[in-house]
Amino acid sequence: MKNPATFAEKLQTCPKWALYLLLITVTSLPLWVPLNVPNKPKQDAMDFYEAIWKIPEGKTVLIASDWTKSTRGESEGSFSALVRILMRRNLKFAVYSTGDPQAPEVARNVVAKVNRERRAAGEREYKRFEDWLSLPFFANSEGTTGGIGNNIRAILGNAKDAAEGQAPASVLNSPVLKDVQKVQDLGLLVNVTASKTADIIVERLYGKVPLAFMVTGVMVPETSNYYASGQIKGLVGGLKGVYDLEQLMQYGINWQGPDGKTMVKSDRNGEVPGFAVDKKFLIGNGTMYYPALHGAVTLLILAVVVGNIGMFLGRKGGK
Amino acid sequence: MDRYTLIKTGFGVLATIGLYSVLYKENKFYRFWEHVFLGLASGFTLLVLWTDTLNPNWYKPMMGAAAEGADPAKPAYWAYIFLLPLGLMGYFVFSNRHNWISRIPIGIMLGLFSAEQISVWFNRYGSQIGDSLRPIVPTTWDSLTKPATQGLTPERIAEVNSQVYLSQAITNIVYIVTLLSVVSYFLFSFEIKSKFMVRFTTVGRWLLMIGFGAIFGSTVMMRFSLLIDRMYFIWIEFLKQGVLGQ
Amino acid sequence: MIPFAQIRTDFWTDLPGSSSANLKIIVGLLVGIGVIFALLRMSTQFRRPLIVGSTFIAGLYYILLWLWPKPIDRDPGEVATNPVEGLGFWLEDANPAVSQVRNIIAAFLIGLGVYSLLRIHVGKIAKQQKDWGFSLVLLVSMFGMAGVGFADWASRQGPEGAKLDNQANWGAINYVQDFLFDGLLQQMDAAMFSLIAFYILSAAYRAFRARSVEATILLGTAMILMLSLLGGISYLSDQAIEKMGGTDPNAFINNFRLTELAGWIQNSVQVASIRGLQFGIGIGLLALALRLWLSLEKMGNA
Repeated sequence: MKNPATFAEKLQTCPKWALYLLLITVTSLPLWVPLNVPNKPKQDAMDFYEAIWKIPEGKTVLIASDWTKSTRGESEGSFSALVRILMRRNLKFAVYSTGDPQAPEVARNVVAKVNRERRAAGEREYKRFEDWLSLPFFANSEGTTGGIGNNIRAILGNAKDAAEGQAPASVLNSPVLKDVQKVQDLGLLVNVTASKTADIIVERLYGKVPLAFMVTGVMVPETSNYYASGQIKGLVGGLKGVYDLEQLMQYGINWQGPDGKTMVKSDRNGEVPGFAVDKKFLIGNGTMYYPALHGAVTLLILAVVVGNIGMFLGRKGGK
Repeated sequence: MDRYTLIKTGFGVLATIGLYSVLYKENKFYRFWEHVFLGLASGFTLLVLWTDTLNPNWYKPMMGAAAEGADPAKPAYWAYIFLLPLGLMGYFVFSNRHNWISRIPIGIMLGLFSAEQISVWFNRYGSQIGDSLRPIVPTTWDSLTKPATQGLTPERIAEVNSQVYLSQAITNIVYIVTLLSVVSYFLFSFEIKSKFMVRFTTVGRWLLMIGFGAIFGSTVMMRFSLLIDRMYFIWIEFLKQGVLGQ
Repeated sequence: MIPFAQIRTDFWTDLPGSSSANLKIIVGLLVGIGVIFALLRMSTQFRRPLIVGSTFIAGLYYILLWLWPKPIDRDPGEVATNPVEGLGFWLEDANPAVSQVRNIIAAFLIGLGVYSLLRIHVGKIAKQQKDWGFSLVLLVSMFGMAGVGFADWASRQGPEGAKLDNQANWGAINYVQDFLFDGLLQQMDAAMFSLIAFYILSAAYRAFRARSVEATILLGTAMILMLSLLGGISYLSDQAIEKMGGTDPNAFINNFRLTELAGWIQNSVQVASIRGLQFGIGIGLLALALRLWLSLEKMGNA
């Protein structure tokens, strides 16, 4: 539109630089001013939290970590929360990847960060090889995932990991995997992903091992299909899902906290405790970013509404 | 924040701003960082292909290994060498005259992938088909909507959950009509002449828009989350914690 | 401890590092290269049957694995009593090897992308085409990352390697690798993906108009879903509606809470529409998979 003259035309021709500047402002300001946003966790996040909490003692969890820092905003929060819960429950876990060559190193960095938090809080750190394993990247997702379903020890047989001060050794000798003879021996398989590995895992492992997914926002609608049909036990989707999980870590489900209040109630879930006393663990990505998301989405809704008002006024003026 | 981390974070911020400069317009500063990014990504891919895939899964099994610590000795499976010429056949795709040779390893991979897809199809869709068979006739008229179950006894909760209320039956009818109309919209390989079917597929197209609306909303959330993360990196990690030391 | 004492050798296996193993590897490589030379001279009429045959045989493994009777409660070391059982045992035992082969071939083929990049940019530098300086930057970054990364990886092998998990034990090469990977590559990866947020806002403002029935439905659903994702807004709206319903949890008005509305749309319409989309895609995928396996898809001339 050249030289917008009418009010309707002006409403539809806000310059790009102004929009971009507004977006930067609404996404940056809330980061400086911490805000506590009230929230009601979604059912799929509650089912996810309960599924993790119900893993039997002594079982190993296999994590398919298929994310990199390109989706740090959502995936790092998901993965950190998952690792915090597993460490809180003293469950051993092994992390592998088929989605991206950068994924294993990114996952190792997050586990190291959570270990630093635990050290600072006087909690036991998780030891590599003894408590958790960093498995390598496998180039072919379909073949590897199918192989895990048929013979997990053969697929992981060539992988090596190292305890501190030790030479790399076969992961099959690690306490993490020594009791895992077949995929059915795992307590849960969690896929933290920003790609199609979720579909690949359901196709090849559904029915063999309980599954749970933590996906980025764009994958929530299609992954909800698996949740609706019961193919996965729970789903943490996007930044909202991360925030839900962090709230659940604090307040539990149907659980009376130290202050005597039950903050999160659900008909469909049993009683699942939170870690209300360890608030310092819980200022995760979800809690930090969620207020800023409100600003950004509100700006987008306003922009769309203003644009449509301009269009309707323009049509009316033209009649 | 120590000096190394501050320098590292500072360069990360510089690279981020360099890439964001494309929002203004295409410029050489952006192109420099774009090429650095492509180079680093491809270099890292090359590295990981060797360290994480070819070395442990191909080279080491081919060469075998002596016993080390708790790991037993492994024999040399020399036949793995045949995979090298097979993989290198793929590089004939760049030859004008002999590019058909690249179709051998690609055909093998396609054959493995497509046959596996046939075998896993039902594992993915079977449960969804089952879940789509939902009751559309109410089993009780005690209440039009499903009652809340807070404060009820477990037996009463089980009884409530076992019934199909009118609201649930209507929801299930909406579900099935949506599913069938959307699937019928995709049967475009057939020419549809019946007026009912033409209208039905139109309804399917409208209801498909609801799915797309949900996808749009989720995509928006994800992209904004990534941007918020970048803002956090620049303002909080670099400026507040690094430069200002707070 | 004798390092190779427990290794049993046959035609397909040998002692690690032995001269016979090395000889077999060299001979195998020469045979492979010989096969490639033979293929270069192969007559046109044999090309398509070779490609179709290798595709079919490769895929036949998974079809047999799916359809052939599977062993149940198989004991380790159990021997097959008949050919049907024998094939079932073989299919099951071969699965890890087939997965390994897929991984290895996929790794070689992923290298195609890197090779392609090299060809283009080395060519640009050699011919000194426009902006060849950027190509030089790309190649320096690529080889720098690969070289430094390899040195860092090598330093982490062996018993001393695990000490490098602690940054206090890092050497120069570890710092450089961390700078390139975590300081640059990861941050730029994130920045690239986040650029789309700006374009989404701009595009939504300029183009997202309720001009037709379909566009209005899409717009309306997107708005409801986005509002429901904002915990603050949905919490406040839910509180307001719950106040209208009083203390009765079964009050009809509670069905109009934003979380209930969004949940109903999600469970009844959204899941159904996306499931319908997925079923349509799934049927197409099944047909395409069958056509690919049987080489019924025409993908250029052999």
